[in-house]
Amino acid sequence: MRTRGIGRRSILGGTAGLLAAPWVARAQAKTLRIGMQSIFSGPIALVGTSSRAGVQMEVERINSAGGLLGRQIEIVYRDSKGQPQEAARVARELVNSAGCELLLDAEASSGAFAVQEVVRDLGVACIHCNSETSSLTADPKIRVPTAFRVARQGVHDAIAGSAYLAEFANANKITKWATCSPDYAYGRDTTAQYLQFFKKFKSDIEVVTEAWPKLGQPDLTEVITKLIQAKPQALFTLLYAGDLSAFVNQGNVYALFSQMKVACPNFDYPVLTTIKNLPAGIQAATRYIETFPDTAANKAWGESYRKKYNEFPTNWSWENSLAVQFMEAAVKKANSTDGKAVAAALVGMKVNSPFGVDGTITMRDDHTTIGYAIGWGQTVPQPPYITSVKPADWGKILELETEWKKQQHYI
Amino acid sequence: MKSRPALRDTLIAVVALAVILVIPAFHRSPAFEDYIIRLSAMALFATSLNLLVGSTGMVSFGHGMFYGLGAYSFALTMQLTDLSLPVAAILAVLLTVVAAFLVGAVCVRLGSDYFAFVTLAMQMLFFSVIISWQSLTGGDQGLRGGIPRREIFGFDLSSQLHLYQFSAIVAVLGLLALRHVSASPFGATLRMIRDNETRAAFLGVVLWRARLIAFVIAGGFAGLGGVLAALFVSGAYPELADWPNSGQAIFAVMLGGIESFLGPLVGAMILLALNDVVTRTTEYYGLVLGIVILAFALGLRRGVLDYLRRWWAQGRTGRAR
Repeated sequence: MRTRGIGRRSILGGTAGLLAAPWVARAQAKTLRIGMQSIFSGPIALVGTSSRAGVQMEVERINSAGGLLGRQIEIVYRDSKGQPQEAARVARELVNSAGCELLLDAEASSGAFAVQEVVRDLGVACIHCNSETSSLTADPKIRVPTAFRVARQGVHDAIAGSAYLAEFANANKITKWATCSPDYAYGRDTTAQYLQFFKKFKSDIEVVTEAWPKLGQPDLTEVITKLIQAKPQALFTLLYAGDLSAFVNQGNVYALFSQMKVACPNFDYPVLTTIKNLPAGIQAATRYIETFPDTAANKAWGESYRKKYNEFPTNWSWENSLAVQFMEAAVKKANSTDGKAVAAALVGMKVNSPFGVDGTITMRDDHTTIGYAIGWGQTVPQPPYITSVKPADWGKILELETEWKKQQHYI
Repeated sequence: MKSRPALRDTLIAVVALAVILVIPAFHRSPAFEDYIIRLSAMALFATSLNLLVGSTGMVSFGHGMFYGLGAYSFALTMQLTDLSLPVAAILAVLLTVVAAFLVGAVCVRLGSDYFAFVTLAMQMLFFSVIISWQSLTGGDQGLRGGIPRREIFGFDLSSQLHLYQFSAIVAVLGLLALRHVSASPFGATLRMIRDNETRAAFLGVVLWRARLIAFVIAGGFAGLGGVLAALFVSGAYPELADWPNSGQAIFAVMLGGIESFLGPLVGAMILLALNDVVTRTTEYYGLVLGIVILAFALGLRRGVLDYLRRWWAQGRTGRAR
């Protein structure tokens, strides 16, 4: 028995250490701590890592120029593993024990809704940088006084995409469509939203078949053959990331792309660069590309990102970079990190940005950004991957968005 | 002492509760308070599971279903009606009890392997309902918009301190009630079934009835844990009802000790603390957790509290010699 004494003690000590560790007193420092939470592990860790890269670039710029309010910024990262209850816990921990004065929430949508409720309780200033679900800020019941979104918003993309595709369909005399989207809330809701606006722009469209592959489904044969058999003139798909690459790669085997026109708003650099033979002529929206907006500032940003991280930026990268810019400008304007003061500064704020369709992006009074680049063009197999990009008409987007909000009883 | 175990248990509970409630008067630590709130939910969840696993020998892989059901029914009642918080909580627990009765009626007569499979299947079915019934549950996005936290008896549950006090009281009372169940003659019957069900049946115990009652009680307390979890996140998410969450409870039971009543509580404490510490320093949480569980499974061969108790007992007999 004696020989096992050390084992016992170390186990007891270890346990005691573990129990004591969560509430180690916070270190008070002059540095300005900003909490950033996202998904840094698991199959969609790219959300977190490319968001973090976008944030780091901006923070390094601010720190080398002397910091924010004269204080160096330190970002405290936390992994929520994509679980909403972890997202809520981590948000509370960042503010309550890690001493963060501001929050960057780079969670996917379900996590963002959990963070939103924590922010409602704590009153800290928070920017959601990845969630595109419109209701997060559009629904006044869900909106929170100190929480903002610096990201695309689903309804904006749906209007812009539908308008472009209606024009495309008219030019090519296309009326018979098929849809193929992931089988969960995002896929089903967003497809319905696109179709709703699509019918508004072009009343004679007909959906001949719908396919709903599971998220991460490795073999899409049945989906592809179903689509081909229905003989639509065009296909609209909301597949994204790995599922989209798999669909294009497997669709190539069945020559799907020569049998119908294809449109998809979810082509991002990681997808564009991993597809083996990217077919030319897919109608694609730009989530982020260096050539749209076609300005020196955008090109420079994309190039410096690539040089620094040796990979292409994602849509999440620009959203998070921009979130830091908004935070920086608001804290400067408020001369404080207080939740209410920063929120007051953010409402109506306009910043210069390479990602703005006219070089600026505005934070509207319903806590979401407008004026960011949305464009549609055609794919080509080599860089720049998407060419002849047409910018969306923000006037039309805002007009129809207001109509949609009224329909949803948000206003 | 031996003659009045109920009094002793109550005393321990009162002292523990008093200590927890007094701490914030001396030192406010939001992280510690959050930890206790989450621990309250997890402790009820894991301890109720141990009534099945440890006391009755029924390894349920679907216990998360009742945790999730408690969370969803509570959150939905609060969002959709103007009922007061305690009424909503009681309704949620009652609903969980009914659900546990229905699920239990199907499962408890099955042999242990099939029992594990079918409970898991029931949970997956429930999880699919949550995902598909979007208009009610919000689907995979979870229930949004927060839980309106109406004041009860002077408790304002949007205040962290009040939620801390409320959770601690609910958890300690819940654990005390579970302790009484396991220390009662009924608890002894369950252990008899676990050890030798043929003999128990010959002694006149109706096996399925005892198992069903245990299943329903366990489900109800898991539902109560779910109510606390919903209060903490101010919402309900499908992950609460998913099978990895059931796995968490099983981990807690295995880590803390299957034979000791407080084992699952200790397991939950370790698991939550481990999660908090490890996610702060590395993105390889799963790897660390796996190594720790392997160390417990292969090294200690039993949970912490079982190990300590055995060691203590051995020490005493050693000294007596």
